Amino acid sequence: MRNWLRPALGGVAFAMLLVGSWLALSWAPPDREMGDVQRIMYVHVPSVWMALLAVTLNFACSVLYLFKNSWKLDALAEASAEVGVVFGAVGVTLGSIWGRPTWGVYWTWDPRLTTAAIMLVSYAGYLALRRFVEDPERRAVWSAVVAIIAYVDVPIIWYSVKWWKSLHQVQSSPKTVDPDMVFVLRWNALGLLALMTFFIWSRYRIALRDRERELALPEAVAPANTAQMQASGAAR
Amino acid sequence: MKSALILLLAQQATDPAHRVGAGRIEGGWEYIWASYAIFWSAMILYTLFLWLRRPERNP
Repeated sequence: MRNWLRPALGGVAFAMLLVGSWLALSWAPPDREMGDVQRIMYVHVPSVWMALLAVTLNFACSVLYLFKNSWKLDALAEASAEVGVVFGAVGVTLGSIWGRPTWGVYWTWDPRLTTAAIMLVSYAGYLALRRFVEDPERRAVWSAVVAIIAYVDVPIIWYSVKWWKSLHQVQSSPKTVDPDMVFVLRWNALGLLALMTFFIWSRYRIALRDRERELALPEAVAPANTAQMQASGAAR
Repeated sequence: MKSALILLLAQQATDPAHRVGAGRIEGGWEYIWASYAIFWSAMILYTLFLWLRRPERNP
């Protein structure tokens, strides 16, 4: 892969988000009822979308790891979980700030907010588990199982506003939203998708480097596992 | 007079602007600035975190 591609992706993402923030703060029209505070949507909603996308990638990698035992899949699972937690924490924080002027409170134990909080705690636990287990193979298997269990919460987050009476609004449709608002939301979502790809890609390289270091420390890995790790190509 | 009033009320009832509450949140820019500041700070700090841990720096 060309060396300039990853930094260029990060640069494009930041440039898109700069334009996106300008569009959101000064170009997009204010909401009929929420007025200007609705402008928080342009960073809150894409952040949560990216968090859900990242943990979905983590789920896919975790399932595949259990079948293929590839260290690259394990590294990608680690990277996507951490990036998912970053975007999830940002999304929940911004939603909480938006809640204060619109609902009157920063936090309430509403189904959508509660399930989002459960997701954050679950994936923070997943990352903590990865830190505590030293044996790479055991760590990869255990964290894959935890990731699959944690993912059960994700569809519940998405449908929580439809299944239960929620203070949080139901997903909007582009048909009922001002086209200018839809454009700004999509622009920011595209910019954040580029940034999320840059983050996962960068974090994946770090995770892969860590696996290679572990391979170089024979005492950290049981002899039976070493051959399997080398065969799966982590040292390449 | 009465029918004109009924007609006016009927028109207002079908107008989406009158169907929902007329209240609108005014101001709130401090919340907006706080949100964008947190968003940008988080993105820049995480980029910095990744850059400091890059494999080229710590092979």
